[in-house]
Amino acid sequence: MSDLLLIDRRWIARGVERTPTMRFVLWLVPWVALLALGIYAAGLCLYYGLNQTNMDNRFAFGMWIFLDLAIIAMGAGAFFTGFLVYILKQADLKPILNSAVVLGFICYSGAVAVLMVDVGQPLRAWFTFWYPNTHSMLTEVTFCISCYLLVLILEYIPVLLRNRQLRKVPSFLVFEHQLHKLVPVLAAVGAFLSFFHQGSLGGLYGVLRGRPFAFRQGFAIWPSTFFLFILSAIAVGPSFLILVTATAETLTGRQLVQPSVFRKLGFISGLLLALYVAVKAIDTLVWLNITSPSLGFGPRDYYSYWPLSSTFLFAVTVPLGLLPALLLIMPTTARKRGWLLLGAALACAGVLLNRFVLTVQTLALPTLAFDQFLRYIPSWQEVATFGGVIAYGVIVYSLSYRYLPLFDPPKGAGKHVSLG
Amino acid sequence: MKVSRRDLLIGSAGATAGLLLTPVPWKLLGDVSIWTQNFPWIPQPVHGPVETKYSVCTLCDGGCGIRVRMAANCPVGVAGVSSHPLTKGALCPLAFAAHQLNWHPRRLREVRHAGRAASWAEAQAAFEKACVEGPIAIVDGRPGRAVSSVFEAFTRKHNGSYRVVLSAESQALAPYAAWSGVPVTSLGYDLENARTVVSFGAPVLDGWGTPGRFTRLWSERAAGAADPQLRLIQIEPSLSRTAARAWRWVPVREGSEAELAAGVARVLLEEHLVTPQGPMPQLSLAEAAAQAGLTTEAIRNLARTMVENRPVVVIAADGNPAIAALNVLLGAVAAPGGIVRKRRRVQSHIPADPVPGRLRAVLVDSTVPWEFAAPTDAEVFRFAAWDGGGNGAGWLLPAPGFLEELTDVPTSPTSALETYAVALNLAVPPTEVQSAAQFLLQIDPTLPTGEKVIHAHCEEIFRARQGTVYGEHPIAVTKLDSAQHLEEQLRKGAVWMGDPQSAGKFRCELKEWPMENCVSHASSWARAWAPPVFPPLATKLYQESNLREPPAGRQA
Amino acid sequence: MSARYGMVIDLDRCAGCGACMVACAAENNVPPASPRATPRTGLTPMLVRKVSNGMEGTARREAFIPITCMHCGNETPCVSVCPQQAVEVDKSTGIVMQMPQRCLGCRYCMAACPYHARYFNWWDPAWPVGMEKSLNPEVAVRMRGVVEKCNLCHARLHSAKEKAAAAGRKEIDHADYIPACVEACPTGAILFGDLSDESDPVFSAAHFPNAFRLLARLGTEPNVYYKSEQAWVRALAERDTERATEGKHV
Repeated sequence: MSDLLLIDRRWIARGVERTPTMRFVLWLVPWVALLALGIYAAGLCLYYGLNQTNMDNRFAFGMWIFLDLAIIAMGAGAFFTGFLVYILKQADLKPILNSAVVLGFICYSGAVAVLMVDVGQPLRAWFTFWYPNTHSMLTEVTFCISCYLLVLILEYIPVLLRNRQLRKVPSFLVFEHQLHKLVPVLAAVGAFLSFFHQGSLGGLYGVLRGRPFAFRQGFAIWPSTFFLFILSAIAVGPSFLILVTATAETLTGRQLVQPSVFRKLGFISGLLLALYVAVKAIDTLVWLNITSPSLGFGPRDYYSYWPLSSTFLFAVTVPLGLLPALLLIMPTTARKRGWLLLGAALACAGVLLNRFVLTVQTLALPTLAFDQFLRYIPSWQEVATFGGVIAYGVIVYSLSYRYLPLFDPPKGAGKHVSLG
Repeated sequence: MKVSRRDLLIGSAGATAGLLLTPVPWKLLGDVSIWTQNFPWIPQPVHGPVETKYSVCTLCDGGCGIRVRMAANCPVGVAGVSSHPLTKGALCPLAFAAHQLNWHPRRLREVRHAGRAASWAEAQAAFEKACVEGPIAIVDGRPGRAVSSVFEAFTRKHNGSYRVVLSAESQALAPYAAWSGVPVTSLGYDLENARTVVSFGAPVLDGWGTPGRFTRLWSERAAGAADPQLRLIQIEPSLSRTAARAWRWVPVREGSEAELAAGVARVLLEEHLVTPQGPMPQLSLAEAAAQAGLTTEAIRNLARTMVENRPVVVIAADGNPAIAALNVLLGAVAAPGGIVRKRRRVQSHIPADPVPGRLRAVLVDSTVPWEFAAPTDAEVFRFAAWDGGGNGAGWLLPAPGFLEELTDVPTSPTSALETYAVALNLAVPPTEVQSAAQFLLQIDPTLPTGEKVIHAHCEEIFRARQGTVYGEHPIAVTKLDSAQHLEEQLRKGAVWMGDPQSAGKFRCELKEWPMENCVSHASSWARAWAPPVFPPLATKLYQESNLREPPAGRQA
Repeated sequence: MSARYGMVIDLDRCAGCGACMVACAAENNVPPASPRATPRTGLTPMLVRKVSNGMEGTARREAFIPITCMHCGNETPCVSVCPQQAVEVDKSTGIVMQMPQRCLGCRYCMAACPYHARYFNWWDPAWPVGMEKSLNPEVAVRMRGVVEKCNLCHARLHSAKEKAAAAGRKEIDHADYIPACVEACPTGAILFGDLSDESDPVFSAAHFPNAFRLLARLGTEPNVYYKSEQAWVRALAERDTERATEGKHV
């Protein structure tokens, strides 16, 4: 038993205080159980087929697609923080960068894992690369997300290799050093890829001429939802990063980053959110007054199913849009941690709701004159898989926090980590 | 030579690049994709020479012509025959998947007695014993076939009685039979010459009579027209499929169709809309209106509309005499466009229900509906191709299924003209089967075989020198050179139909207006469908869509 | 050959019997339902839907609308969205082809189709033992996890082409190519043919004043037309935004 504690101690960086091993194991146990349940549920779906879910021919997309879009929006903090640090030279955000990378890695790997269960024939996943359809937003998403996941892995590896034991392997050090030089390039590539796939995820719905609720006009081949999704993703990414890091601070009981980092991230997030709300308002007006009526659909086709749809529209723009933007921008509130976190949480909720509306509600709304408004409740397998992904995220983040220097600021720019 | 880590790295990188240039990874990917397209547990269709054969469906008494696509001697598709004089290519929804029936999980594959497996020899011995001890009865669900003669001959020789179970459409003609003395199986509806059809709840556009016959007529002459050549008036409590398409729908209160008929009759007589050919009903118009849930004005309008476009014929969903009496009043009996007599040969049958006296054994043919309740104190020998369940104590004997038996198809109950066809055995039964006739022939080989009777019937038709054979092209019987030729044509899937002038005359005598309470029966679709199970694809109609209600007492 | 195959369905003739649905399923080797299948997880490439004018009592009117893939001719929604080109429009016939062998099962095309004409194989197709002998050898059996839909009985077109080629003809005989649903309809409600051929009866039927297409304002140019003399039926072509809440259906 004491051997186990010793081994554990050896993997933790020197001079750093971490929770006692047993307490950490106890912390992990419920998450591991949740993950196991999620894997079991996913296994059932892979073995028996997608009839294990409550998706059907009308709700072709369900909770998992919502999860994917939501998780990728939340993970936008990774590329955006990298963009801010390396391209826009905001060096004061560097301390939170590793956390952002780990979060991004978790979000994207989780999304890809769920996607593999969500498709009917996962073994054919490579067909998209072999027979790509240049007209399809989903092709773009597939390519970009795959590439970006690779980028995130490459960005995560240096963090991983900074582990106390792994650093002892010289070739790893060399590898990490080389990789470290690549980081600005990776950040630029990541930003480019992310820009496109965040947008394409919005484009997925914006191009659906058959679903006037989602269909938007736009610029060239990109519907307005393309740009709206990018904007909302970069608005929510920093907020999510704030929330997760603040949660880590609360759970570990120590300050991990300077409050100024949070404030700066919050300010950027709030600003982008305000811009998003403004653009969305214009977009909604154009859509309701021009685009949708030209397809023969009017507001009553969307908003007569009270109290759901009209409430959502209001919620996304005001209590979960304008309000958090103000909370994050205004110094009086942004200065106070509680208000800042509330603002960040509301911002995340707003973007989650927006993703939900576009994925699930689009399918619930009738198109044919004799269609009904439909309801869908996910099955336990879907919920368990969702829970499994969250558990996976918590476990990876916890392990990363415990064994890797997530929040150690690198000693000066350009110099990579020292030994020991 | 010392292999350094660098060498190893370069070697691995080179090997990976090289591998990509070989077919190996691509072949593996290709194999994976092929495997996902051909999971080993996905069934493959049979492969073999594809041919088209023509036959007749025997799953109800409609006698629809079918075109069967065969692959490697298995039926793989069923479609209609456009040259068929009655159906004109139409079939009921279930027929298109009927070829799956022979493989239904409930297919009876072995002789069963009191819940356990038995053998044909045992069943034969038991039946022989029962015949000796007597009396026995044989119940036939489709009289007029060649095998029906076998049943009749057997019962005559072996201390038994021959009884029939008629379809609902046949039973609807029972009042005319009672009033005229003409057997039910000799009567039919001359819809081709009618200009107004008044249906009291009969689903004429949804599985009544021979599918296709009325739907094609209606489609040509009525569909979509505000003032159609053929007027369909549907009298029914709810908006059924037929009612939704009808020219007029009269929503009568459930169970009061007889009262409505009486009310209409009163108006017809009082307003002198018809020559008085029948008695006046006792019920007053006001009473009739109150019972039927309509205004007196509505009933008057109905009566007037009925006679506006003659000839008019009334079709009842069952044998309620009050509704049949309307036809008598309207002069729609033994007249063009009404109830006609199609056969001169008189052949009456004893209904199987109720069975007088005690029986030692009952042999129930596979054409009898599964719901038929045989007397419980008799030993029951039930022939069936599919096990409908709930048959505890008797004998269950596997009979031929769809297209597994050579049999003939007598005239469909509702048709105006006589028809005759032969259904071929195109499919091989998956298990050892015997039809009831074959079973009886084993016990008494002196009986005439079904084939002999078919042969005799063809001779008879040929000698009568009337009618037309509808195969690929219609040929008048007078143009055929022999009965053999006629039989050959029929065995190739052709249908013989009699000439109109061969129809006979008859009269209906009504002393007083019949008033019988209507029995409202749940109008279940596919009522005429004989097997106790549906083809598995029938789930498209109710489980996998909201098109129809799930069938009562049937499983797919 | 260059054709634009389509249908004109007379809704005054359709009695909602469902023969087309069963014939389609039998022709295309659609599996019978899994015990847990429901109307929302069913596999019905041809689906007849019951509609009404929303009134009750004697004012109630009902009709049946057979819905199949509309084989949209303009900016076909499902074609542009498939990430691996498992759907394409056959330019020579106008038929929108679905390749289940290439389908990944992402169901994006199902979200894209406004007519809900696409169906997913939520279960492995399974037939009772021996019933595979009754499968149509001209149509491939799909596997689970892929999308399928009406392809205008393309196997029958293929057979017609083979027959024409064997007889040395370039053009098929139109009588040889009739989709299963068209053949099955007992009231002759479905008229099928080449919409680009002016001599074809379906061309003039599609141009009747009472002919309409569902959701024509979406601009997808469906090749399936409907016609009815009844105004309330024709009104179902588009969403009536004034009465959207009244649920004009059953």
